[in-house]
Amino acid sequence: MDSLGGAGLSAFGGDPKTQIMRQVQQEAAMQNARMLVEKLNEHCFERCVPKPGSSLSKGEETCFTSCMEKYMQAWNTVSKQYVARIQQESQSGRSL
Amino acid sequence: MDLSGSSSVGANVDLSKLSDRDKQELQQFVLNESQKARIQQSIHSLTDTCFRKCIPAGAVKKGALEAKSEEPCMRQCVDRFLDANLVVMKELERLRG
Repeated sequence: MDSLGGAGLSAFGGDPKTQIMRQVQQEAAMQNARMLVEKLNEHCFERCVPKPGSSLSKGEETCFTSCMEKYMQAWNTVSKQYVARIQQESQSGRSL
Repeated sequence: MDLSGSSSVGANVDLSKLSDRDKQELQQFVLNESQKARIQQSIHSLTDTCFRKCIPAGAVKKGALEAKSEEPCMRQCVDRFLDANLVVMKELERLRG
């Protein structure tokens, strides 16, 4: 997948340095989003579609919506907790 | 990391035009970004592990994270995982003597 490559750079003004920084950040955000979607799908498919039928049922779709909400909240909780812990560890001089 | 090497990022940018100071700044920037990426990767993997442990099989149908049980479980899961990680590190250190 390379939707961000190429066109991205010339579209923005600014000096080459800023362009590169922006592109690096975009790629990182993309990678992060991709990873979230992958994990979300993995978990929610496992739980919401135990026996895949000939099509996705209404119930399965509803389950996916709720499951996504839960997973994203779980992700945010972990993110907060983990970052807090890293900060705490780095203050006390230990490194993870 | 070598910024002058050919890469898709630099495709449209003439890197030779960058001043030494810019190059240095970019290197630091990339270093910081890769650390951020590593942290995010850990968050993904922790969420994966803890979601399995803290969210009972049928509970995904209910939407929002349960504040009384699931959320504290996720937080504790993160902390205990990192504690366990420290134990492993300490033990390895000890074995190395």
